[in-house]
Amino acid sequence: MVEPADDNANDGPEPMTGPGALILVVDRDPHVKRLETYFLEEAGFRVEFADDGEDAIEQARRLRPAIVITEILVPKRDGLSVCRILKSDPRTHHVIVLVLSILAAEDRAREAGADGFLRKPLNDTLLVDCVRRLLQQPMLAEGQIHGSR
Amino acid sequence: MDRVSTGNPQADLILGGGFPANSINIIMGQPGSGKTVFSEQLAFANLAARPVLYLTTVSEPLPKVLTYLQEFTFAQMDAIGTRILYESVADAVTKGPENLPDRVIELLQQYRPAIIVFDSFKAIGDLMPDAATWRKVLYELAGMLSAYDTTTFWIGEYIADMVPRLPEFAIADTICELTREQHGTRDDRYLHVIKLRGSAFLDGFHAFRIGHGGLEVYPRLSSPPAFGPNYGTHESRLTTGIEGLDDLIETGWLRGTTTLVNGPSGAGKTLLGLHFLREGVRHGERGLLVTFQENPTQLARICRNLGWRPDETPNCGALEVLYTSPVELQIDSIVGEIFRRIDKSNVRRVVVDALGDLAGASRDVLRFRDHAYALTQRFARQNVTAMLTMEDVRGNGRSEVEPMIDNILLLGMLLGDTVERTIRITKTRGSGHDGRRFVLRITSDGIAVDKRV
Repeated sequence: MVEPADDNANDGPEPMTGPGALILVVDRDPHVKRLETYFLEEAGFRVEFADDGEDAIEQARRLRPAIVITEILVPKRDGLSVCRILKSDPRTHHVIVLVLSILAAEDRAREAGADGFLRKPLNDTLLVDCVRRLLQQPMLAEGQIHGSR
Repeated sequence: MDRVSTGNPQADLILGGGFPANSINIIMGQPGSGKTVFSEQLAFANLAARPVLYLTTVSEPLPKVLTYLQEFTFAQMDAIGTRILYESVADAVTKGPENLPDRVIELLQQYRPAIIVFDSFKAIGDLMPDAATWRKVLYELAGMLSAYDTTTFWIGEYIADMVPRLPEFAIADTICELTREQHGTRDDRYLHVIKLRGSAFLDGFHAFRIGHGGLEVYPRLSSPPAFGPNYGTHESRLTTGIEGLDDLIETGWLRGTTTLVNGPSGAGKTLLGLHFLREGVRHGERGLLVTFQENPTQLARICRNLGWRPDETPNCGALEVLYTSPVELQIDSIVGEIFRRIDKSNVRRVVVDALGDLAGASRDVLRFRDHAYALTQRFARQNVTAMLTMEDVRGNGRSEVEPMIDNILLLGMLLGDTVERTIRITKTRGSGHDGRRFVLRITSDGIAVDKRV
């Protein structure tokens, strides 16, 4: 089980957001993982994986990635729930969350606190552009969200 | 849902707008059915920022594909190698068919194509050692192709009875079959959508031809299209140009109606049609003569003998002629061309001479009835007034299309010392008429109804 948010936890150092920034990919589709890794690493990022929602939260707290890219449909805890927990936990609230899903769920992603939304299938140009934009300007006015499609 | 155009508006119409984007599609058909031309036309119609990746396998060698491709006008040679990339996966497949997914993912990562064509995909399946291996390869390949933003076409020499048996058909989102059937001494080609996941499409067999511009597709027509003008409720009259005929119908001759002119050879059917069209030209209405009987030279001779002015004769500009030899007649293409010309030239009067030739070109009676229905409904919807001639080969003056027709004129020939032609109205929809038999006179001035019974 994922631990509940700890309001007294130390935020720690800010994650690296420039070249070499760490991205945590949460997806169970091996083809998506393989392609995402290839395109993100080609763009200069480092990539780690989580296979389910609970693993994602645990790794996010431990690795402090610049961005978590999550599918909604992942085991144990869905991607929107992962997003809510990360955004409400002082240890991870600064982590940028990009929802990349087969579901047309941009509104739900926004309500869960996601910073960006992209619809599958994976388009390398859209993905890398979106990640770069999020890293440069993570904070948008309330209700706005990065991404397209 | 985004769509990928076939490069052919009529094929797109059949597919409900084109192939769904990010889908896996099978284009199947026997050798020579037009699969490769279809997919090449599609590839060139989708030249964009991201390339089209055309993968040859272990079927046609690449030089052969490129040689024949250059014969088509849609082939933009400067796009080859830049926006259309040809690669072969033959080596990977022959070394070990299970290597295919890895080779394809390498190509995906390298080229990032918007469209991938496998030609021939069936040839890959044929190399698999067993069905279990093929299923595994297919599962991997389909998963990978679905994960990436690309639309895939698997081209293969499949036949209809393979569809329920082979696993690739369960995976495919769309299955399009191209068929070729012998009809007399001629081959007819058809496009048939067997499956289109999550979308409406036009079912049935749609005729097509292959020309220098690629496929020319003629969607099967059984009812008027949902677009365009609606059926008119305002009734207006016209004159037929046949002396003595118009006042035999109480309401007069109504626009948007279709009249069947039924009679034996030599009874005056073509002349009746020509008078009807000439009358339209005299009133500023464009006409279309669809003829399978008299060629343009013969028509010009008839009109010259009647002393008609050049600007009232067929091919004068206001009166178009669509002549097709009955030997080469393909019903779908003719009906499609009639509709195209009506739309393009705002044709108000049409004569089809003769409907029996269309029936002879049809695959079966039901299909002919579909076309006859489509014609009459389209005429009514667009307020086009039509005459369809029919040779009375049975000698009883009856035709299977009668229920679709508004008016029926029955022509006869009484053979005595002289030939006496007759005309009789046997049906007018929604109006009374004089149903007596009258003499039909053909003189050097033209044709006229003699009111003496």
